Amino acid sequence: MTTPREKYSYYVEEKALEVTDRPRKFLEAFAAVLENSSYGLALDVYTRLSTKCSRCAASCQLYQSTGEEQDIPCHRSELLFRVYRRYFTPAGNLKARLFGGFTLTDEYLDEMAEAYYRCTACRRCKPSCPMGVDHGLVTHLARWLLAEIDVIPKALLVATREQLEGVGNTSAITVPALVDTCEFLEEEFHDIYGVDDVKYPIDVEGAEYVFFPAVSDYLLEADTLMGNAAVMHLTGGSWSIGTGNFDGINYGLFYSDRMMERIVKNVVGEVRRLKGKKILVGECGHATRSAWFVPTFGGPDAPEIVNCLQYAWAQMKAGRIPLKKEKIQEKVTYHDPCNIARTGRITEEPREILKVICEDFVEMTPNREENYCCGGGGGTVSIDEIRAFRTGPMGKRKADQIRATGAKYVVAPCANCKKQLREVCEDNDLEDVEIIGLHDLLLKVIDFSHETSSHGQEEQPTQDGQE
Amino acid sequence: MDAWLEWARGPVFLFSFTFMFLGLIRHVGLTAWAMVRTMRQAGDKTIPYAQVLSATLKWLIPVDKVRSQILFSLTSLLFHIAILIVPLFLAGHIVLWTRGLGLSWPAIPNNVADVLTIVAIVTAVALVIQRATAPATRSLSRFQDYALPLLVALPFASGYFVMHPSGNPFSYEATLFVHAMSANVLFVLIPLTKLSHMAFFPSVQMVSEIAWRWPSDSGSKVGLALGKENEAI
Repeated sequence: MTTPREKYSYYVEEKALEVTDRPRKFLEAFAAVLENSSYGLALDVYTRLSTKCSRCAASCQLYQSTGEEQDIPCHRSELLFRVYRRYFTPAGNLKARLFGGFTLTDEYLDEMAEAYYRCTACRRCKPSCPMGVDHGLVTHLARWLLAEIDVIPKALLVATREQLEGVGNTSAITVPALVDTCEFLEEEFHDIYGVDDVKYPIDVEGAEYVFFPAVSDYLLEADTLMGNAAVMHLTGGSWSIGTGNFDGINYGLFYSDRMMERIVKNVVGEVRRLKGKKILVGECGHATRSAWFVPTFGGPDAPEIVNCLQYAWAQMKAGRIPLKKEKIQEKVTYHDPCNIARTGRITEEPREILKVICEDFVEMTPNREENYCCGGGGGTVSIDEIRAFRTGPMGKRKADQIRATGAKYVVAPCANCKKQLREVCEDNDLEDVEIIGLHDLLLKVIDFSHETSSHGQEEQPTQDGQE
Repeated sequence: MDAWLEWARGPVFLFSFTFMFLGLIRHVGLTAWAMVRTMRQAGDKTIPYAQVLSATLKWLIPVDKVRSQILFSLTSLLFHIAILIVPLFLAGHIVLWTRGLGLSWPAIPNNVADVLTIVAIVTAVALVIQRATAPATRSLSRFQDYALPLLVALPFASGYFVMHPSGNPFSYEATLFVHAMSANVLFVLIPLTKLSHMAFFPSVQMVSEIAWRWPSDSGSKVGLALGKENEAI
């Protein structure tokens, strides 16, 4: 009897080891996905013209560290392409009948199970492929297919189970606990800043923004949430937290479109229940990227998506966030979370804010769309048993990058990046570096004594929904 | 030999060139149709056109891209420029098109063609050498990845000797036969192998963008198809 850990480098549930006839089930799942989703187009094109030039290898931070064949993005994608060619193209089928050759086996599935969780789906290799192959998409699809034969890292599975079938969110925070936490944070505003009217509006109908942070922030990132609330308070933002669903985390993005669709639909459902207009995503990369799939899964007139960084910069630009004269004195650098920066969608807003509030802001090299992944992307940060891998071969580049800046604060507006970067720093002798959220830093320089007309406005949602 | 040469330049060329042409048209047509169908079913119908266009142009005119892995990139770029220009704009080839179909277009001077031909041969061999010596590429490579660049070089090498018979150790007819037949083989292989990227190339960035545009109920429909709609997580 193998223990789960002996089979893969991550834990899976017992039931995953009891699945029989896996190649057949994998192919059935593959067929069902090709039939009902739209991966066929990309696979058809990719399998035809993948030229094996290996330019992707040079862009992959894992391959740069290990130099192992299994870590070349193109090699990894070929694992799935081979299955597609053999079983789902006429030419591959004919070739197999005439000459034999590749057959999908249990061992091959195990190789895939390992390979696709050594990739963080950061998509840094995407712009380096002349043929436009999106290896992140291939990892995304392969993990889904593996999930259908129950190969899912236990950490991701139990969190999703808790979210969809348990308490309702990935951190198992009950509604009373949420309310308690919010009240505690409101008291903190009083104790630390002497302000009494900062509120976390709960279940307010008709608010312009319904707030979805990474739910773990309620447990781990109090300062980020206080920064969020301070910004909403000072700018008179109409917002609310919904007790029906207050979790922006969507691990479906990391292993199954079936789960992803359900989670996105739940988020949209909560916004509709509260008659909210927009989704305000907290400091979380993958929650933002998942929310960008709201138009895909949310049906017509799906709510608009706003990341809190975009909101904060728009408000700051409009002069609605009063700041102290004294800026942050320590050297600050910015880590671009892959999920919001890789396609260039959110790169400038956080920088603009940091340039305003920091005396000494420096860039990492490379940055923006070309930034290195924190090393814990694609949900791997939740898999504690692979920490040595995450902070070693996967996180080494990031550690070097941070070290080169000499910064005291590394701003990472993403719950996953924060956890991972803290571990990277611990394991790579970067004890003096502090990983921090952007709103945490902003909170340090907000001048509460200057606040003017917006008192208490967030408690009475306005119909015209002004910002 | 003359009969063989006429056969290679006549019916075989006609067949292989038509095969390539129709094959590539089919690729483009089927891909375009699949793109339209995918977008019709997609829940999210928005496409960041400017971004896709910019990504496409960055590869079509890869001034920016050559900076990473500069040796390999420049080799590849020169290779592609040479093999695209010479066959299309060689005066000797245009004459054949004029004779056959009455088509005509400006030619490049023969000495330019000579230089580009040598560039094509040298870069093809260099690509194979780079492929064999770089660990990452070597581990990825299949037989066709080595064979195809050399096969591409063959019509260029034989073509050079056709243009310069004085230095040619082989008979003129035999060289011309090799030239025509190797090109014919390539024409047939183009739609069947990775060489088909010549047709797919302009659309690949769009394909990768559209690949993320799933139908709004794709997840639940897969669950239904697998009989897992009520299965506990």
